[in-house]
Amino acid sequence: MKRGFAAAIVVLMVVGLAACGSGNSSTSETTTSSPPVNNTQTVIVDAGPTVNGQSIGDEDVLFTTVTICVPGTTTCQSIDHVAVDTGSTGLRIVASQLTLTLTNSTNTSGQPIANCIQYADNSYQWGPVAKADIKMAGEVASSVPIQIVGPSNFAAAPTDCTAGGTPAQTVSDLGANGILGVGLFRQDCGSACASTSSPPAFYFKCPASGCSITSVSLTEQLQNPVWMFPQDNNGLVIVLPQIASGGAVSATGSMIFGIGTQSDNALGSAQAQGVDGYGNFATTFNGVKYSSSFIDSGSNGLFFLDSATTGLASCGRQATGFYCPASTTSFTAINSGPNPKASATQVSTNVAFTIANALTLFNSSNNAFNDVGGSNPGVFDWGLPFFFGRSVFIGIENQTSAAGAGPYWAY
Amino acid sequence: MMKRPVTVLSALFAAALSGFASLGGSEESVVSDQVKFQASRKVVPEHGYRVHEISRDDGTLIKEFVSFDGKVFGVSWKGPTLPDLSQLLGSSFTEFQNSVQPKAGRRKAAVVHNSDLVVESTGHSRAFQGRAYLNSMLPDGVTQEVVQ
Repeated sequence: MKRGFAAAIVVLMVVGLAACGSGNSSTSETTTSSPPVNNTQTVIVDAGPTVNGQSIGDEDVLFTTVTICVPGTTTCQSIDHVAVDTGSTGLRIVASQLTLTLTNSTNTSGQPIANCIQYADNSYQWGPVAKADIKMAGEVASSVPIQIVGPSNFAAAPTDCTAGGTPAQTVSDLGANGILGVGLFRQDCGSACASTSSPPAFYFKCPASGCSITSVSLTEQLQNPVWMFPQDNNGLVIVLPQIASGGAVSATGSMIFGIGTQSDNALGSAQAQGVDGYGNFATTFNGVKYSSSFIDSGSNGLFFLDSATTGLASCGRQATGFYCPASTTSFTAINSGPNPKASATQVSTNVAFTIANALTLFNSSNNAFNDVGGSNPGVFDWGLPFFFGRSVFIGIENQTSAAGAGPYWAY
Repeated sequence: MMKRPVTVLSALFAAALSGFASLGGSEESVVSDQVKFQASRKVVPEHGYRVHEISRDDGTLIKEFVSFDGKVFGVSWKGPTLPDLSQLLGSSFTEFQNSVQPKAGRRKAAVVHNSDLVVESTGHSRAFQGRAYLNSMLPDGVTQEVVQ
């Protein structure tokens, strides 16, 4: 990184001299660029972090190691087993795993700002916002707002955040030391939370009297760190190997930053499909279109429809919400969305997938599965099994590549 | 039965009633949901039941499905965040939580299909949607498909 920066300065100086000396505006001789930074971060599906010497042993959670630093300093900490989540935005670190001292973000009245994220299963993460530099591979995002999840010395989560549900705020609850949200959007909430009229319950101001919903400017919201990199910032691609049916103990792949910015992240034959304002697209199955479907590496299965529409038996109480067919079953669905470069044109892709008996899979010693699934009435949630054997590109909103402007998926 | 929305002024009701509304509760309690959610409300008559639509400026829409004998037999929600499900599901909330059995690291939809209670909660941050109903309380001639 340092070398690259120095080389860039030299090139700029040469360009400057050339421009001064000749009075000629041509820059054709100045195509020499600094060496590209390392844009490839290792990711792994394994047994997860250890708590009291025991691996959590969850299935289908994709992890990486993230380095965070006190902004502008070399006081840093590497945190392993942070879950890679294309279904959310922003970095969230479980407070117990944080050894750095970070400064809580405040509003203009000096009141601490807290963040909330909820999940459909009625769990949530709550905690103060603080800024940190985020380093992955050779890339650095500077002074990024992140969430510190569940510190004991901070105000309790208000009802607008808990929604009556249960916290997922410890390493045991979460099955990870944190969550790296590298989804389709720049911010976790976006313009709705920057508006002072009725912002949704993502951000809270927390004076001593208690926490209440507040608006927060776009720049002070949790950010997808990728779009804050100085380069390779228009998106990313997650590359995971195919694995055998029945699963694998672990699976190692790459998270490559940028789309078409270096030799290792070209789109190739991948088809780009845009999404709606919520990040959703349509999945058609047996002739029926389900328009609130999404891709989410943070979902640890293919969660779609129900037993009545799929013919797949549910597992019952031993694995609530999962499918347990008597024999492995194959399906095909069609994902479609607008071409990011020509929104009137729909781009459709056939997706073949299989569903095996989840209890059989969970009772094995494997941690990575490409054929675990469960119910999700009226919706297709393409979870981590979708990523095996694919290069999945995530085009970030308002960032452009050869595929057009994000938000889009390409695979 | 006419399908005419009747808009009710929030302020009229905000002061009038208290108590919790919820699945299986009484129609009066719907008003306390409206107050709780700081929302506006309209009532849409349907064939065999009424729907109270509670909407909030942040884009949240909650529907409470009420039989003519004044019982909330179904609820649905849609919005950027989850509504307070403990309030919305009322006395069924504990059964919902026990049935969902959250497990470490498993993130997914919450789907409960018990003999009486059905809850389907799906979506993700910025775009949640869900519904719940009690089979035993569906009015005669009304099917669960209406709860959307």
